Amino acid sequence: MSRFDAMAEALEFRFRDGPTAPWSDAEFERRALDAFGHQFEACAPYGAFCARRGATPAEVATWEEVPAVPATAFKHLDLDSGGGRAPEAIFRTSGTTHGTTARGRHHVPRLELYRAACLGPFGAAVVPDGGRLPFVSLIPAPPAAPDSSLSFMVGAVADRFASETHWVVDAEGRWTDDVEDLFAARRAAGEPVALLGTALAFVHLLERAGPGSLALPEGSRVMETGGFKGVGRSTTREELHGRIAMATGIAPARIVNEYGMTELLSQLYEPVLTEGLAVKGWHAAPPWLRVRALDPSTLRGLPDGQEGILSFFDLANLGSICHVMTEDVGSVREGRVRLRGRTLGAEPRGCSRAMDELMGTVS
Amino acid sequence: MSGLEGFALEGFALPSDVSVDGTVTIATGEGVAIVAPRVTPAWIESIVRSLAATTTPLRARPAGAIVDVLGRTGERFLDDGDDLRREALDLLPPSAGVSREMARVILDGMAADWTVPRLRHWLEAELTDPRCLDGLIDVGGRRVMAVGPALCVQVVSGSVPGVGVNALLRSLAVKAPTLLKPGFGDVVLPVLFARGLREADAELADAVAVVYWPGGSVDVERAALSGAETVVVYGSDDTVTALRALTPATARLVAYRHRIGVAVVGRGALTDARAPTAAGEVARAVAIFEQRGCVCPHVVFAEEGGKVDPPAFARLVAEALEALAEELPAAALPIDEASAVQQLRANAELMATAAVGSWHGGSEAAWTVVYDPEARATTATVGRAVRVAPIEDASSLAQELSPIGAHLQTVGVTGLGQRVTAMTEALGRTGASRVVPLHAVSFPPPWWMHDGRGGLQELVRWVELEEG
Repeated sequence: MSRFDAMAEALEFRFRDGPTAPWSDAEFERRALDAFGHQFEACAPYGAFCARRGATPAEVATWEEVPAVPATAFKHLDLDSGGGRAPEAIFRTSGTTHGTTARGRHHVPRLELYRAACLGPFGAAVVPDGGRLPFVSLIPAPPAAPDSSLSFMVGAVADRFASETHWVVDAEGRWTDDVEDLFAARRAAGEPVALLGTALAFVHLLERAGPGSLALPEGSRVMETGGFKGVGRSTTREELHGRIAMATGIAPARIVNEYGMTELLSQLYEPVLTEGLAVKGWHAAPPWLRVRALDPSTLRGLPDGQEGILSFFDLANLGSICHVMTEDVGSVREGRVRLRGRTLGAEPRGCSRAMDELMGTVS
Repeated sequence: MSGLEGFALEGFALPSDVSVDGTVTIATGEGVAIVAPRVTPAWIESIVRSLAATTTPLRARPAGAIVDVLGRTGERFLDDGDDLRREALDLLPPSAGVSREMARVILDGMAADWTVPRLRHWLEAELTDPRCLDGLIDVGGRRVMAVGPALCVQVVSGSVPGVGVNALLRSLAVKAPTLLKPGFGDVVLPVLFARGLREADAELADAVAVVYWPGGSVDVERAALSGAETVVVYGSDDTVTALRALTPATARLVAYRHRIGVAVVGRGALTDARAPTAAGEVARAVAIFEQRGCVCPHVVFAEEGGKVDPPAFARLVAEALEALAEELPAAALPIDEASAVQQLRANAELMATAAVGSWHGGSEAAWTVVYDPEARATTATVGRAVRVAPIEDASSLAQELSPIGAHLQTVGVTGLGQRVTAMTEALGRTGASRVVPLHAVSFPPPWWMHDGRGGLQELVRWVELEEG
């Protein structure tokens, strides 16, 4: 068995203990430094980048000192630490906001590690009451979107937690079922449902549905995630959740926001179902992922509560690069993340175009 | 800016018969807040009605007299002893996110065109005989007249200081009562300008309302646009799309949507003697407006085959930016922009180790230069950051830029020699509307072909008395 597979298998074993299993700082540190040692050797451009900074496995003493790659590097380089294992999947960042040449690509040499990282945190956040329940997914099914990490994740969690799954949107965003009939059938069945979708999909769903047609049985819950672009210039997440609550009858305290990105194989969730509305806006990370807010000019870690650039060390990224500096801005408190509060489609400053927007136009 | 901590800036100027119906305080960076009116659709409609009542008296005044008032007001921003200039210089740094030194350069550059002689020259440059705004005149055997909009509503987003005043000058010069929504970082200058107008000419001041509201307030924007004959939008493509949908069918929409600038340095400027000058010009063009302006060059194409090769030219640009950092310090970037710069730097560093390029700019330097052999003009930057890319033959630039033709605007040039004419023709066909020596990139003249047309020409409607 390769070093990568042995390490991955050990992590999968730990991930299956779930997000509430105890992880000591020492365990995280040891696994993080092991992962760095592996990635330094396995991923040549990353190894060279670290060596140029003098950050070799011999020199680096803590996970914070491990050089982070910028999330946008996934657009330019194949950051593959599979150690010769062919990728089982290559997930791509959304094609709607980036030109084809600029879509990020995440090589995943071992999907089982991703699956193990997805299941526990989703279960704790969306199905904390256990058991199986029907899923209605506004996210395309995995076969329809083989390069979407989100579709893979929803497929994995549906296999584990769904009694049946209704995939109502295809890869092009078209509705595949008569949604209103489906919701009526779910109402008649009376059983709680998990409704999963991106913010944009929810906006479209709310626009097309007639009054009362989206109501769902008591005990239902929603998982809503990213996908802000095109939502509208001044829509806030709070407003969107309010509208979802109005249409479905699912209270805001049962609408869980998932924070994730293609570049990270672990996800964070607002634990509202177990902790109530007070934690709305705060995303909890599993113990195998550590997050810091960095000073935007010095890139040094900031104290709890201060806003900075969010940087993640995600052990689920063993097959690529664990330490990723994102473009997102937010603060961290006791390991939980609060994304900067802003309208979903906020205007950029200035009259020159932001890179992503321009890339979107070029494509 | 600690002296301004807690300062609240009045973010509006209104006709004398409109009163404020409560205010809201909107925080900017640096502890300064904008006090904006509480904006409701009904209140905006009352402004629109008030402005509409000034159309007839405004049109009765000679264009030359209006321009003189505008120019005398604008000149106050150049007079060191004038309180309008002093206040502008105090308030621009915290509100627009620029250093004090930069505020001075921007105000000097912008207000240089706000003077009486400059405005008169502008009207002549665009309209030939400005009396066409006062009535029918004979132009080349045709009897024509130019009519400005009965009401002009201008929505500016973005943070380039001076854009709002330029917008006001355009519409007022063609006698159009104007409602201006300035950009978040450009509230100071139009409000001060309107105050200056009030002191100089109450009738003209009553034809102006400057009101800040957060962009995207759909009901407010619909109310604002409902009475307009002409709507002018400065903003992202998304903003333009949204406001186009709110513009009445009877109104004309002038959209200054997102644009990008580039620069090209030809072999002729890549000699030991001339390259440092060209690098200095690039540095200034990048620094002024901190890459937020549509004129700012995001990618600089350096031609191969000169004495100074493209990577060496990138180093010269880095040196020039370092030198300029003292003369024109950069203000701290908002976190989201700083985050984008950190991505750019870390990527460049990563690519450099893969031997694909090089980068310059230390971890805390306020500027960044990336030499990127694969840079395309699609890679816009933010803050004081620029990419330098090689180009084998500068004459092929238009072809290189064709993918972004729809967003191309300014091309700063130097060292092209005789090739500049043919290149301008090719760039123009690709989408560029302005080819300009590098040293003059930042401040286009008032009569410039802004996205392809003069600013006054965009606003007037022509009327002809045909001889039959």
